[in-house]
Amino acid sequence: MEKAINRQKVLLDHLRPSSSTDDSSLSASACAAGDSAAYARTNVFGDDVVIVAAYRTPLCKAKRGGFKDTHADDLLAPVLKAVIEKTNLNPKEVGDIVVGTVLAPGSQRASECRMAAFYAGFPETVPVRTVNRQCSSGLQAVADVAASIRAGFYDIGIGAGLESMTVNPMAWEGDVNPKVKIFEQAQNCLLPMGVTSENVAHRFGVSRQEQDQAAVDSHRKAAAATAAGRFKDEIIPVATKIVDPKSGDEKPVTISVDDGIRNTTLSDLAKLKPVFKKDGTTTAGNSSQVSDGAGAVLLMKRSVADQKGIPILGVFRSFVAVGVDPAIMGVGPAAAIPVAVKAAGLELDDIDLFEINEAFASQFVYCRNKLGLDPEKINVNGGAMAIGHPLGATGARCVATLLHEMKRRGKDCRYGVISMCIGTGMGAAAVFERGDRTDELCNARKVESLNFLSKDAR
Amino acid sequence: MPVFKTPFNGYSVKFSPFYESRLAVATSQNFGILGNGRLHVIDLSPAAPGPTPITELVSFDTADGVYDVAWSESHDSLLVAAIADGSVKLYDLALPPTSNPLRSLHEHTREVSSADYNPTRRDSFLTASWDDTVKLWTVDRPASVRTFKEHAYCVYSAVWNPRHADVFASASGDCTARVWDVREPGSTMIIPAHEFEILSCDWNKYDDCVIATASVDKSIKVWDVRSIRAPISVLNGHGYAVRKVKFSPHRQSLMMSCSYDMSVCLWDYMVEDALVGRYDHHSEFAVGIDMSVLVEGLLASTGWDELVYVWQHGTDPRAP
Repeated sequence: MEKAINRQKVLLDHLRPSSSTDDSSLSASACAAGDSAAYARTNVFGDDVVIVAAYRTPLCKAKRGGFKDTHADDLLAPVLKAVIEKTNLNPKEVGDIVVGTVLAPGSQRASECRMAAFYAGFPETVPVRTVNRQCSSGLQAVADVAASIRAGFYDIGIGAGLESMTVNPMAWEGDVNPKVKIFEQAQNCLLPMGVTSENVAHRFGVSRQEQDQAAVDSHRKAAAATAAGRFKDEIIPVATKIVDPKSGDEKPVTISVDDGIRNTTLSDLAKLKPVFKKDGTTTAGNSSQVSDGAGAVLLMKRSVADQKGIPILGVFRSFVAVGVDPAIMGVGPAAAIPVAVKAAGLELDDIDLFEINEAFASQFVYCRNKLGLDPEKINVNGGAMAIGHPLGATGARCVATLLHEMKRRGKDCRYGVISMCIGTGMGAAAVFERGDRTDELCNARKVESLNFLSKDAR
Repeated sequence: MPVFKTPFNGYSVKFSPFYESRLAVATSQNFGILGNGRLHVIDLSPAAPGPTPITELVSFDTADGVYDVAWSESHDSLLVAAIADGSVKLYDLALPPTSNPLRSLHEHTREVSSADYNPTRRDSFLTASWDDTVKLWTVDRPASVRTFKEHAYCVYSAVWNPRHADVFASASGDCTARVWDVREPGSTMIIPAHEFEILSCDWNKYDDCVIATASVDKSIKVWDVRSIRAPISVLNGHGYAVRKVKFSPHRQSLMMSCSYDMSVCLWDYMVEDALVGRYDHHSEFAVGIDMSVLVEGLLASTGWDELVYVWQHGTDPRAP
């Protein structure tokens, strides 16, 4: 950085012939580019894994919202179809579809996903699988596809996420192995998520007021984003039906907006009672909403995207999942983000935008403060407390929200991070870079071959 | 004439002395303050097929900004690039990209600001650097032949005399221009040419005693090195520091300059009303200019607006 400051000084001296004449209307502004060399360097390679499309359904309240009578596969099919249609890609070129999904029974959900691919128009030759890393399953699916592309298994893949919490509520089936009593950490894996939130709030002193404020902010930002139409680019409207609970009448509807966002105030939230602990701080108002939804992300090798002329939305730079104490699983992002950012060769200051999943206000506020992040950079369009947290879909939802926001913000917004805590004590984080490399802009044809090579070289 | 859009901010443009339609362009990311650099070689053949008459023959990426470039006078494919990280790199267009840069010479301790190939002896070149020195190099040696260290601040340019193979001039931020003979131990002449930093100098191509200096004081001065007490001519007209000055290879008294006021000017220093023409086509600092040796009146300029213009004097650079 010292070098840059010195250079700026030399150049500035050219514009300020003398300090005595103060007629100059010129002034220097600080160079805003990050300090780390990696920020300034371009590294564009044909084998980069890039994201060319990321879409999601609206997120709706489970059991009461717009998708209460919608089959899970009917949520997934529209987004799978959208990533193909919006890029004019031939669906048979897709090497794999990986779907993050959490609550549904494994094999049944895998079948539903395969069926959804058929609904979306994929030929039988395109394989489908599911992945479950709890709340980060959607992000894990995207990372798995990116890894497979990098490994050379295929060049084009879809990472998706799906959850219908209407159909599959959080529950434990069967009995618990009595052995867990001996292993405290294993025992803590059984804690309800709300209790882990209380643990975080208690252990790190996150007040009820701070948590409620975070929830109010989340709703406010999400409402503003919806009103301004900022979610229009990422949301795929879903045509479905709603059954009237009293009359049993079916009504066809098209759901195109998130229905969990409320106009709420601190005093409204203060009235709510803690759910998990008598003198606790975690309420329904400052926790993520229970929702239905899906998202899909189309990834490919940069060389393939260039060849097909598909505009690049973002570049997948790094991904990590780390383990933390299950009793305070909410601290996951605080542990995962620095590792992912370092893996991308960056520093925390280089990140221009964060999507940190708001499982609970307690853990969200803790992670934000622990990492010392600028609140202006985090969840600028609201988070899970307002929009909802359909467990398996959240990762893919965040990719869509983050990359479309980065696209809107332009050149200044170069790096974005997605992170979330994971039940049973983990955290996941991924770093994305904005896609349109303005650096490559050029109006000259490239020569096909170096026709001026010397005779020896030919 | 076509306009070439560079990805980074333009820093220097030079016509090939061998092919009339070929140019080299030195560019730096983020205005040369931080980031990468790229050296472009472009061809303007109007006969080329396709929608645009511009062809990018090749481009070379560098880890730091490219501040200047010079074509070899002996080989049509050889280029010398002055890099902001202090290195001087040689590129041979006739070699595949993997063999380039042909050579990377790390001796300057700060940004290298200019490179100039010896036009008479054609075997050596000079580089000037913000480390206050000028270095003399030959293509066949891995280390510099000589270092000229007298200036007290950044040296912004060093140019060979077009007649005498051993004589060159340098312009520095220490407010002096100096004339050197490589056979002598020190500078042979110190010209305290301006009150402010001198950013550029050039020799007249027809009179080997005439030199021009361009300064932060917004003026260009023309000197006769035989009597440096007063300049032959002072050219006022630029609104900010004059970044580069160049004598015409075709007409003795014609000069070209570019400035932080974003304009490119042509001057005739021998007449009273010296400003011959002013071009306002750049929308940011104009920092690189050249005049074609092979085509009379063909001009080129580049600037921080990431554009390279090539046009015939008297026509609009922006005209398609």
